[in-house]
Amino acid sequence: MYRIENHPILHQFDKGQRVSFLLDGKEMEGFAGEPIAIALRNSGVLVHRYTAKRAEPRGIFCAIGRCNDCVMIVDGTPNVRTCVTPLQAGMNVETQYGIQSRGAAENND
Amino acid sequence: MIRYEVIVIGAGPAGLSAAIEAAAHGLQVLVFDENAKPGGQLFKQIHKFFGSKEHQARERGFRIGEKLLAEALGLGVKVILGAQVIGIFAHRQVTVMQGDHMEYYVGNSIIIATGATENVISFSGWTLPGVIGAGAAQTMMNIHGLRPGKKVLMVGSGNVGVVVGYQLIQAGCQIAAVIDGAPHIGGYGVHAAKIARMGVPFYLSHTILQAHGTKSVSGATIVEVDSFWQPVPGSEKNLDVDVICLAVGLSPLAELPRLAGCRMQDNPLKGGLVPVCNQYNETTVKDIYMAGDAAGIEEASSAMIQGRITGNAIAHQHGYIENTEFDQCHTKYQGALNQLRAGMFKRDSRKETGLRYTQEGYTLSKTLLTKGFLSTSELSVFPGIPTEVRRRQGVTPIIECTQNIPCNPCQDVCPKGCIKIGDKITNLPVMSASSCLGCGLCVASCPGQAIFLVDETYEDQFAAVTIPYELVPLPGEGSKGVACDRAGIPLGEAEVIHIRTTAYNDGTALLTMKVPIEWAMEARFFKPDHIGEGG
Amino acid sequence: MKECVIRRTAAKEPFMAKLEDSMIVCRCEEITKGEIRQAVYDGMMTMNEVKRYLRTGMGLCQGQSCSRKVRDIIAEEMSVPRETIEISSARNPIRPVPMSIYANDKACKRR
Repeated sequence: MYRIENHPILHQFDKGQRVSFLLDGKEMEGFAGEPIAIALRNSGVLVHRYTAKRAEPRGIFCAIGRCNDCVMIVDGTPNVRTCVTPLQAGMNVETQYGIQSRGAAENND
Repeated sequence: MIRYEVIVIGAGPAGLSAAIEAAAHGLQVLVFDENAKPGGQLFKQIHKFFGSKEHQARERGFRIGEKLLAEALGLGVKVILGAQVIGIFAHRQVTVMQGDHMEYYVGNSIIIATGATENVISFSGWTLPGVIGAGAAQTMMNIHGLRPGKKVLMVGSGNVGVVVGYQLIQAGCQIAAVIDGAPHIGGYGVHAAKIARMGVPFYLSHTILQAHGTKSVSGATIVEVDSFWQPVPGSEKNLDVDVICLAVGLSPLAELPRLAGCRMQDNPLKGGLVPVCNQYNETTVKDIYMAGDAAGIEEASSAMIQGRITGNAIAHQHGYIENTEFDQCHTKYQGALNQLRAGMFKRDSRKETGLRYTQEGYTLSKTLLTKGFLSTSELSVFPGIPTEVRRRQGVTPIIECTQNIPCNPCQDVCPKGCIKIGDKITNLPVMSASSCLGCGLCVASCPGQAIFLVDETYEDQFAAVTIPYELVPLPGEGSKGVACDRAGIPLGEAEVIHIRTTAYNDGTALLTMKVPIEWAMEARFFKPDHIGEGG
Repeated sequence: MKECVIRRTAAKEPFMAKLEDSMIVCRCEEITKGEIRQAVYDGMMTMNEVKRYLRTGMGLCQGQSCSRKVRDIIAEEMSVPRETIEISSARNPIRPVPMSIYANDKACKRR
């Protein structure tokens, strides 16, 4: 719903195949090869993680892999910069709580 | 350990230009870039660049990027992407993280062209998702084809703020406001005017107090500040936005020269901590050179010339060019750089002298500096505005270019020589001859979109006004809409009588609308009927 | 530099809480303006000192967002121009590197 279908200068954007992936177990869609963060933003997902100390929501900030605010757990690996990591079919993306998944974070308590 | 004659770090405009210059003289060049695509910020720059022909003015940034890349690859430059240089060690050893492993290289010469990083300001709620850098907005919309949100507050009125604001509108977003803590607009007036006539309000001497929202931005509160930067009580305004875009300046990315032992200087005019360089961009460590924003914040056009200067110096250093050719090239590039560094926005003078008069002595428009548009009463004194008598004789360009910006495509493209700037490219364009053909080349070529064609002889009581138009969908001939003035205020109904699109004009359509003759000097934007509230 | 250190350590006014103290400055390590201001009152006068005291700029982005701001806050608290506040040292690696890359590194193994 946030995709630019027809841009006055750039016209169309080259996108890969439409693929599905998981966000916290829920099936989502995006285009293969685009950053994971872009597919999430298009589906209205803005919160990528909750911080370790204050449990505050964070999402895309710099979009070029510098600020590391958009990191999530991807296929089990935490701290993956979703704004520069290309989406692949079947990826398992999880919201990051501190540096853990929700389940792991809850087990700590 | 792999040895190259030249290792360039960063494949942006500066790095690629340096690589091209060195490779063209026969050097073996390797370029690293940490991104998946080369070109640095160029591929996000979809607007036309300022300058003159030798600076590739009136070309869009991404087209310049395509050309640079093709040229570099054609010359045998090797570009390795997804390669993060993590340090430069003794004897010019470069350590690079490539995928899941480290690689070690040695460069006989090293060029550091790592560009810049965006500055931020902090305020309550600034860590909420939806608060993004202006660069992030550009990356999302111009690289990945995604709108960062629906309604945007732009914080910062420098060129980045106003250019990205325009690009957000092109992508289909609304701009709730552009704010700046300074008392006047920091970017070119012409860039501000592009969005002001679409109805975007500017709030100068304003800062952001708070981003609202629990999980993401749902609004923002802005407040006026006094001359001591203290909030003025009672001046708070709430804006309904889902994106807050920060465009508050850039800082050089100069960790690598620091690590390499280069002497650094803290230079506010260059945007922060930068290495001390000689006139050939060599640092205090022999054979380590700089190019582009990493050595001091400027525009992409300057970065490209800086790259050329560095590449030329290295070719000379390695004995690939003779003294005379080296000197000639250096003088040529330095001249081109000096042209871009002239004018009222040049980096070392704008803060001290402020923006008050043009170099010709005209008083700058106050409304342009504070609201982003020229008022009609201020306009008539400028040399690009034809007299009423001239306007009654037929079609003529109206050149609403009132600040000394280094730029001259309008002079270049006019087949009749109607527009004169002269050799000093920061001069204001002057309307001279009266032989306008109405071709509109000047309209489409002006990177500031500050030229319009007005034909007051179009029909009895009606004038034809031609404007540059870069939005979709393009209105059809015969369609009706609303003519707006420079402030974006609707004047009344207008009819599109002509649309011209050519490959040469590269995406800038010429839209001619028929308006009552009394609006000829007011109507500067066309809002099709199907678009809702502007801005 | 020397001069401002003397001035700072000599005339120490009591710490006064400010409205924006709870605002995050270092995004990665979640350090607030108040914590940085307090650090200055605790005797930290350079960016390196504040960094070691609070971890400002030690998170994943390595100070790319906050270093200007931290410097401004230290300067403001010490009432000196920002240019006089020494900035943090630059260190390799300048980008985050997974430990596995070093563990598997050919060059390291050879030694």
